[in-house]
Amino acid sequence: MSGLENHEFEKLAVPLLDGLYNFACWLSGNPDEARDLVQETFLKSLRGFSSFREGTNFRAWMYRILRNTFLTSRTGLERRNTQQEDEEGFADLAVSSETPELALIRRADTELVQTAIAQLAPIFQEVVLLADMEEMRYQEIAETLDVPIGTVMSRLARARKQVRAYIVTALEQKKVAGTKR
Amino acid sequence: MICDWREKTGLYVDGELEPASQQAFITHLESCDGCAAAVLEQQELKKAVRIAGKRFTAPPELYAQVRMQTHAAKTKALRPWWTWGFAAATLVLLVALSAVLIRNNRPDPTIAGLVDQHITTLASAHPVDIISEDRHTVKPWFEGKLPFTFSLPELKGTPYTLEGGKVAYIEQSPGAELLYDIGQHKTTVFIFKASGAEPKTSSNSTFTIKSWREGALQFYMITDASDYESSRLVSMLQEANR
Repeated sequence: MSGLENHEFEKLAVPLLDGLYNFACWLSGNPDEARDLVQETFLKSLRGFSSFREGTNFRAWMYRILRNTFLTSRTGLERRNTQQEDEEGFADLAVSSETPELALIRRADTELVQTAIAQLAPIFQEVVLLADMEEMRYQEIAETLDVPIGTVMSRLARARKQVRAYIVTALEQKKVAGTKR
Repeated sequence: MICDWREKTGLYVDGELEPASQQAFITHLESCDGCAAAVLEQQELKKAVRIAGKRFTAPPELYAQVRMQTHAAKTKALRPWWTWGFAAATLVLLVALSAVLIRNNRPDPTIAGLVDQHITTLASAHPVDIISEDRHTVKPWFEGKLPFTFSLPELKGTPYTLEGGKVAYIEQSPGAELLYDIGQHKTTVFIFKASGAEPKTSSNSTFTIKSWREGALQFYMITDASDYESSRLVSMLQEANR
């Protein structure tokens, strides 16, 4: 790699560090492991930067390297084995047009939403984080996860339904508990 | 019965509908309370996930470690064949000039050592031994540990924050290492007893490096903040030690 390429790499990659670290923390659930994952991601991408084709999405490329690094790590393999869920296994929850749910979602605090995200299976968690937190387009998510756009859309819809259901159920239970007191 | 348009709410909220469909969906929303409520709900949910998802912030030492990795790779970088030819051709000229140039331009080993110390501090889990933003706590901590005294400026109302300090050494001589924040930039200020010729400093592509003397004290500043951002802190340190 030339010095110029190296400089270019740093210019493109360093602004992504915070987002990559955050994503790595979510994936691994461990800040120390997340640090190692980010460092390994930077090393791998730096080595491969000369083969990186201009015009392709650099952010999606970096996130893909991070995700693949995680999936091949011990935690990644364990998590895949223990928490993988059948993509077709969830019943579709009809989106309600009722407003009480909207009111409940508005009342949800950050901690509750974080718990709702944390309980998602990895394939749903990563897609909802990339879409809503990183604000990636569907195409970019598809490149990152190496899946078709249709899969991104269906996983995202299911992930959101589960987050929504978790929040609504938790707040309704809290309300019921409050009424009984 | 659920409206046929309802399944498009996610696409609409994510801005993934084609322009024509987007317009048609907006028109539909004006007459369908159910879809309008679903859109509102999805927007709220998206916002909540965006806020809650940003849960972890990369520690400053990770930035330092990643930058070190990148720079280490730079020094090992392979160069194309023609640059070796060019290098060989210019070698003779460089050798002829080196006796003069090396004497004048070689990076000061003290500065190189302090840059390494700055990076080590940023990568450390315990960057300072005395943790305090209060200069009246940090300065007395050095008493008895250093063969000189110094003053620290009041930072109230400035963009600078003192994080703390520890004792550092160059050539077995103790000095003060003070860690400051300039916005998001970590900045190390070293203070030693002045001796010999004033060191030659030159900023590199990663750090802004400054050195100056104030009386019997030799100051060094190493930061990845810009020259402009750090210059006021230099002036304040100079003023405090006049």
